[in-house]
Amino acid sequence: MRDARYAYAGTSRQVLAGVDLDVEAGRVVAVVGPNEAGKSTLCLVAAGLAPIAIGGRLEGSVLLGGDETAGLAAYQAAQRCGILFQNPATQLSGTTSTVWEEIAFGPRNLGLDIGAIVERVEGAMATLDIAGLADRDPQRLSGGQAQLVALASVLALRPSLLVLDEPTSQLDPAGTRLVGDALGRFAADNGTAVLLVEHKTGLVARIADEVAVLVGGRIVEHGPTAEILGDPALAEHGVDPPPAVRIERAVAAAGRSGDLAGLDLAALEVDPIAGAPRPTGAPLPTGARA
Amino acid sequence: MIDAHRPGVVPGFVLRPPTGSYHALNPSTKLVLAFAEAAVAFGVRGWTGPLVVIAIVIATATAARVGRSLVPFALAVIPLVASILLVNTFLFPGATDVIARIGPLAPTWTGLEAALQATLRVAAFALSVAVFALTTPTDDLLADLERRGLGRRGVFVIGAAIGMIPRMVERASEITDSQRARGLDTEGSRWRRIRGVVPLAAPMIIGALSEVEERTMALEARAFSAPGRRTILRPLPDSAWQRIVRWVAGLGAIILVAASVAGLLPVP
Amino acid sequence: MSEPAILVENVAFDYPRGVRALDGIDLRIDGGERVVVVGQNGSGKSTLVRQFNGLLRPTAGSVSINGRPIGRRHVADLAREVGLAFQNPDRQIFAGTVRAEVAFGPRNLGLGETERDAAVERALATVGLAGDEATNPYDLGFSRRKLLALASILAMDTPIVILDEPTTGQDARGIERVQRIVADLSAAGRTVIAVSHDMRFVAESFERVVVMRAGRIVLDGTPAGAFAEAAWPTLASTYLEPPLAARVGARLGLGATPTEAALVGALTARATAGR
Repeated sequence: MRDARYAYAGTSRQVLAGVDLDVEAGRVVAVVGPNEAGKSTLCLVAAGLAPIAIGGRLEGSVLLGGDETAGLAAYQAAQRCGILFQNPATQLSGTTSTVWEEIAFGPRNLGLDIGAIVERVEGAMATLDIAGLADRDPQRLSGGQAQLVALASVLALRPSLLVLDEPTSQLDPAGTRLVGDALGRFAADNGTAVLLVEHKTGLVARIADEVAVLVGGRIVEHGPTAEILGDPALAEHGVDPPPAVRIERAVAAAGRSGDLAGLDLAALEVDPIAGAPRPTGAPLPTGARA
Repeated sequence: MIDAHRPGVVPGFVLRPPTGSYHALNPSTKLVLAFAEAAVAFGVRGWTGPLVVIAIVIATATAARVGRSLVPFALAVIPLVASILLVNTFLFPGATDVIARIGPLAPTWTGLEAALQATLRVAAFALSVAVFALTTPTDDLLADLERRGLGRRGVFVIGAAIGMIPRMVERASEITDSQRARGLDTEGSRWRRIRGVVPLAAPMIIGALSEVEERTMALEARAFSAPGRRTILRPLPDSAWQRIVRWVAGLGAIILVAASVAGLLPVP
Repeated sequence: MSEPAILVENVAFDYPRGVRALDGIDLRIDGGERVVVVGQNGSGKSTLVRQFNGLLRPTAGSVSINGRPIGRRHVADLAREVGLAFQNPDRQIFAGTVRAEVAFGPRNLGLGETERDAAVERALATVGLAGDEATNPYDLGFSRRKLLALASILAMDTPIVILDEPTTGQDARGIERVQRIVADLSAAGRTVIAVSHDMRFVAESFERVVVMRAGRIVLDGTPAGAFAEAAWPTLASTYLEPPLAARVGARLGLGATPTEAALVGALTARATAGR
């Protein structure tokens, strides 16, 4: 993106007020910032959905795989950039009876032949380690599982960029762990470029290579993860530093930094508890609420 | 855990092969047959129409091994049938051949005959719809219609509308809970309940609209608006003789009904 | 001893399709306590708090509010004593202005105009929406709409306030504000009950943690107790994890340190004692 500016259809306020951002193959770029800074809009613009699918006024340059998004058709943008939203329920088509068919939804839409479809579905399931869910009803999955199925159905289009708009914000801790772990593995193994919008700076610290801070529609900071998340000025932008950083600071302020010597706080944060079950649990019983 | 399936092919639980020769017929064939049966059941005057249809339907059901599953459908029709029987037998206009006088009630033979005929028609219709529903998965029907020109959008709208109902119900109940928790009285007098319409309806509508926007974006993100035809995962074979059967059944039904209406059909 | 704010006695709850969501729950919450209920989705935590305002009625056992069994009291009536702020604000917002939305609850309770206006102003000030009285709720972002929904409950001035996942979808400032609101409500003597899966929020803002799994209470204690190393397997069984401060404290042998402040305090205390 170069100097990207965007206003939603029927409004005059530019939610994005001049954003410069590159996401390169194999890199994970996280975007943090207070709510209403434009992070979701940034995701829609990056994926091309704005303006292609939802209208609005886009100025500046947004290139996906070398082509301006404004000149692409929605299905072309979808093959270059996959996007995952917060709510798993609205991303499942609701018209398929098995997870396998749900993931095949995208490739089918493109009219690919059966062999190619099978290959893509199996590939997407393998990448996220959800082959065990293949014959399940997508509407009867836990939040975390549903989110992974939604992600797989987007990955089945083999995009070279993946945009994630707060993928864990509506999930419970088990779901967050499930999706966070899958994203971590994905980011490490894949050549796909990833743009991740997240509040959970702990997750960002674990998987992002770079962090950009978006405030008021502009990027105010951008740099390597440790540097940005460790910057004391982060809190002024309304962003919470990761727990590890907070604790280090609090302990340092009390003059007891030495006590933490030798401890890898970031690793400690995700240390599995002895005896914890894997969060790919059974489906919720029908009719149950939390 | 799925039972092990070979990688590289569409798995069995997706293919869901048909479980019988009637099941294996093209969905459009089964649809046309069901329509033809329903048309004859209602359109041909007298006893023959419905009786013949019932015989055909029961024979088909037995051959397709769904006979036992017809029972719930038959039972579901009973309330309607009961009311038809009562209304027609006791209140048939202009009938004078009374069966017996029971106090103020005067059931008539004409009425009874009409009632029984009407009952047979309803039963024939219900059973033919039932056989269709039991032998034709919705997915298959929609896939076939899509192939024949309904298009991916039409199919999606139908499929999604069906799936939407439980979600709508769940949303409605959560909205109701939220408003009740703020003191909206849904258990009190009628007037107070009427005042609750806007707080209950508005979030429902707003929620449905915003969900439409999110869903549209999710669909676009999955290349829904790509040109051309969608790939079909499950082959739905059709054949020349099935096409012939469809035409014969369709035209035949129309001719029979027209003849009966014109009074040219000399059957009881 | 005065009547408890909420008394749950041997309550069971089955959903219509036979799913047992609550099984043998005994719970006593006294006036002024700050309690948070945690557990994974499906553990029964939301089902439990909906027993407190009558939205759901126990299949067995009884629930009493301020000494009176709920019995057949209408939800609208119980709303005077128990306010429940839901997780998704978009499933309740219907008015065209912030002010009208917040006034809905007090109006239903029958407050007169002056009282109502005062309640609305106070509530809006508490959540930080004081300048937005005439704004359309949908012109606010999601996290402020959530605060709006909270305000609409606060305006009802109920002695018991229940918050269902108040921090989900909030940014750092929003979470701070929610924490302040919890503290202020408690300081004013109200009973605050929350359902949450934000473990740091749980550890920092509440004095009592109730852990649920499969419809039962498996742990009920202070944050220090709930996040002590001995309790970790119980937490893990319901897919919960202790906050980092507790893990660090355990690793350094400092005993239970559920919050940063506790951790720093323990480190300092150890250093002082060591001298």
